[in-house]
Amino acid sequence: MRIWGPVLRATATRDPRSCEATNITMTNSVDNQQFESFAGRLQETPEEIAFELRAQEGALWTGGRLLIGIWAFAFAALGFAYFYLRSANNENLWRPHGITAPTATGAAIFAITVASALLLMFGERRFRNDQTLDWQVAGWTAVLGGLLVIGLQIWQLTDLPFFPGSSGYASCFIGWAAMNIAAVLGATYWIETILAREIRLRRAIAQDGGAPSSTLPVARLFRANLNGCTYFWGFVAVVATFFWLLFYVI
Amino acid sequence: MAIDTSVSEFEYPGEEDVGTPAKPPPVWRRSAWLQPNVLWAIAGGVIGYLIGHWLGNVIASGYQQVQSSGQNNVAIVLGLSLGVAGWLAGIGALTYPLAKILGYEPSPSPPQQSWVRYFRMTEDHKVVGWQYAIGVLTFLFTGGLLAMLIRTELLSPTTHVFGPGTYIFLVSEHGTVMMMMATSAVVGPLGNWLVPLMIGSRRMAYPRVESFSFWIFMAGYLVILSAFFFGGFPTGWTGYAPLQTQANGGMDSYLVGFGVIGLGMILAGFNLAATIINYRAPGMNWGRVPIFVWGILATTALLTLATPTLVVAGLFGILDRTAETAFYVNEHGGSNFLWQNLFWFFGHPEVYIMALPGFGIVMEIMPVFTRKPLFAYKVAAAGMLGVALLSFFVWQHHLFQSGINPDMRPLFMLTTELISIPTGFLFLVTLGTLWKAKIRFDTPMLFCLGMLFNFLIGGVTGVFLSDVPVNVTVHGSFFVMAHFHYTIMGGLIFAMFAGFYFWFPKITGKTLNRKLSKWHFWTFFVFFNCTFFPLFLVGILGMPRRVFEYASNLQTLNDISSISAYFLGASFFFFIINVVWSIYLNPHPAPDNPWNSLGLEWQTPTPVPWYDFEHIPVVLNDPYHYGEADAPPVADLGKVLSAVGAPAGSVSHEDLGTGVEGDGDPRPPIL
Repeated sequence: MRIWGPVLRATATRDPRSCEATNITMTNSVDNQQFESFAGRLQETPEEIAFELRAQEGALWTGGRLLIGIWAFAFAALGFAYFYLRSANNENLWRPHGITAPTATGAAIFAITVASALLLMFGERRFRNDQTLDWQVAGWTAVLGGLLVIGLQIWQLTDLPFFPGSSGYASCFIGWAAMNIAAVLGATYWIETILAREIRLRRAIAQDGGAPSSTLPVARLFRANLNGCTYFWGFVAVVATFFWLLFYVI
Repeated sequence: MAIDTSVSEFEYPGEEDVGTPAKPPPVWRRSAWLQPNVLWAIAGGVIGYLIGHWLGNVIASGYQQVQSSGQNNVAIVLGLSLGVAGWLAGIGALTYPLAKILGYEPSPSPPQQSWVRYFRMTEDHKVVGWQYAIGVLTFLFTGGLLAMLIRTELLSPTTHVFGPGTYIFLVSEHGTVMMMMATSAVVGPLGNWLVPLMIGSRRMAYPRVESFSFWIFMAGYLVILSAFFFGGFPTGWTGYAPLQTQANGGMDSYLVGFGVIGLGMILAGFNLAATIINYRAPGMNWGRVPIFVWGILATTALLTLATPTLVVAGLFGILDRTAETAFYVNEHGGSNFLWQNLFWFFGHPEVYIMALPGFGIVMEIMPVFTRKPLFAYKVAAAGMLGVALLSFFVWQHHLFQSGINPDMRPLFMLTTELISIPTGFLFLVTLGTLWKAKIRFDTPMLFCLGMLFNFLIGGVTGVFLSDVPVNVTVHGSFFVMAHFHYTIMGGLIFAMFAGFYFWFPKITGKTLNRKLSKWHFWTFFVFFNCTFFPLFLVGILGMPRRVFEYASNLQTLNDISSISAYFLGASFFFFIINVVWSIYLNPHPAPDNPWNSLGLEWQTPTPVPWYDFEHIPVVLNDPYHYGEADAPPVADLGKVLSAVGAPAGSVSHEDLGTGVEGDGDPRPPIL
């Protein structure tokens, strides 16, 4: 029943004469931050609060996977365009002279993306083993890696050996660059928000075993969020690998 | 057990107020005018556009193609994009994502109850539903007005009101506005308003995403309208290349607008899917989910998976027009057929994005007015999922006349005909529900029957069109145009009105005038058919779409259609007058459950409180046991939720037998 203790402590501090005071209490109570039940606004039973919490955990899980689905179809559209134009080869202008985008930069972008994702996955495993510091190092490194990938991708666009409209390959590559920047930016933003959140929660959660093992609602939601983010980074790495093969290898 | 500090010891002012929030004391707040609202959004949009346009001129004014054409697409696209960003910043949609970078999460605050909440970001799904309703009607009236202009031009085969360029722009703008409206016509207003109530939830999974989806939807409306200022676009709503690449600045509005609204659609689907999957009340397993919610769930699969393709296709189009890529330019290694493939990979599922919620409404309403259980509930749910799945495999029938290997035609003819099987399931479910029923012909039911009649015509002509020989014969003619108006307007819009009339008493707490409602239905139904049925004939007789001159022997049929269209447009006034009359001029409070429906949403008080349910309900059965003498209760609203730790949908009636004691609520379980 440990989970209910903090929740009910917050509920019990409500003052019927002051909803504002209640909210201040709620806002400052780390137990309930990030957990949007109706506590403090509606007379909820512990079971109802538990239901809300479980639903939010589930929504984070579902949301993370849905995001992967959304991006998968977006990148599938790019993959379709690649193969469609390649097979059509209109005016023999799919890829004249076998020209490619700068391979060294492309390899670096690919390698950093995959390394960041692997590092993050490793970090999450360490996090689950209560090694929060390892995860933090992995996470911030992934943030740096993501920013580096975005920077390299932009820089590569300024250094292309072909005009964007010179061939089907060139067009697809520009499309890939734009979409990769968006995907990596999103992934980097996501992990950064989780890391920043962890900093804000650290002291309060520490009393309850820290983020990896705390049973506080906020910690449970934090873990669900982190899990979704790590999966998404894994997806970004798979996409990076796939399109690296398409644009630089085959 | 630190639970002794039970909330029941806590006394609220007035015993009857238990469960409602205490009134906050007067505290200083920022004036509503100073908080993010729609006025700030407009200001942000204008400022963003000006900055973007200026930036685009700085970047691209020296480009050769800009100097030779005198048209700076970079400036227009950047202007529109930053305009949308400014709009979102002004409405406050970016505050939370930016705060997250610093590790902040939102703090709970009571929802605003004043009228101002309708002009702001809100976390109340019912307010978002209202916002969507107004937004969708705005789209509908804009598109309808354009339709009147089109029909005016077609009154005469030779005397013209507009030039050919203006006419094709009106057709394009009408199609785009209407199609974008139609994607959200049911999901937006009714989906957002009703889904949490129907599944026994107090909230959406992602309330800020929900609100974001609405405000970006409205930004998309303004972007598409901005085409008027850039000379319009000549491609029709399908935006085919190479015309797309060659068109003037209005095409940028089309591409950015589609992208922006596409993002809104993805987010709306994302939020609804997460809500339905995770926030179903205890006891609501998949076999008890209301059929309307099944329709919305199937639609969310299409919204989240098909729409990204449209956004990416639009991105390629924008890149072609700004960065000079050649995705859709044959001469440079691209292919104009690529656009057709990507567009229709979204475009055909889009038809079902419109149709499935419509069918959901009809199947939800029919048992109420026939007092019979929904016939073959599981078949209905399976049919909707089947339609959603198959809709991903039919897109190439739009390319029978272009860009497809002729050997592939039979395959896509087959998949297209296959989709009529699950669609037929849905039709049979409705007919089975009607079978031997004593039907109450109230307005919602009339609209349902009208929908079935129209969709039957639209569906049967669709089966013809899926056959290659017919398709080749009537492709690009008014026959196709009449077909999809029968499915979309005759299906979706009729279903949408069925839903509005059915749930209006719950949503507004007011009763609509019956006479005006029926006048609306009959005029709408008769003039809809008089408008669009003749177009099948002119199509068969060879009149092509999007052409403002036609053979003189087709004038009579066109005139019947045009004059009927005016009356069709006028029939909306019955609806508007009825709404204004019933809400403001002669209001009659609606009872909590005027139709005696078993749906969970009808068991809430009217108006529905912001927290939806005083206690999370425990669902005991599906809500379709009409006309059964010993029907089991549908849900228990009075008891406190007793199933700790049970995932959504896992609580059975037996689990509840000795659950936590009730809180004294005298209401009996729903019968």
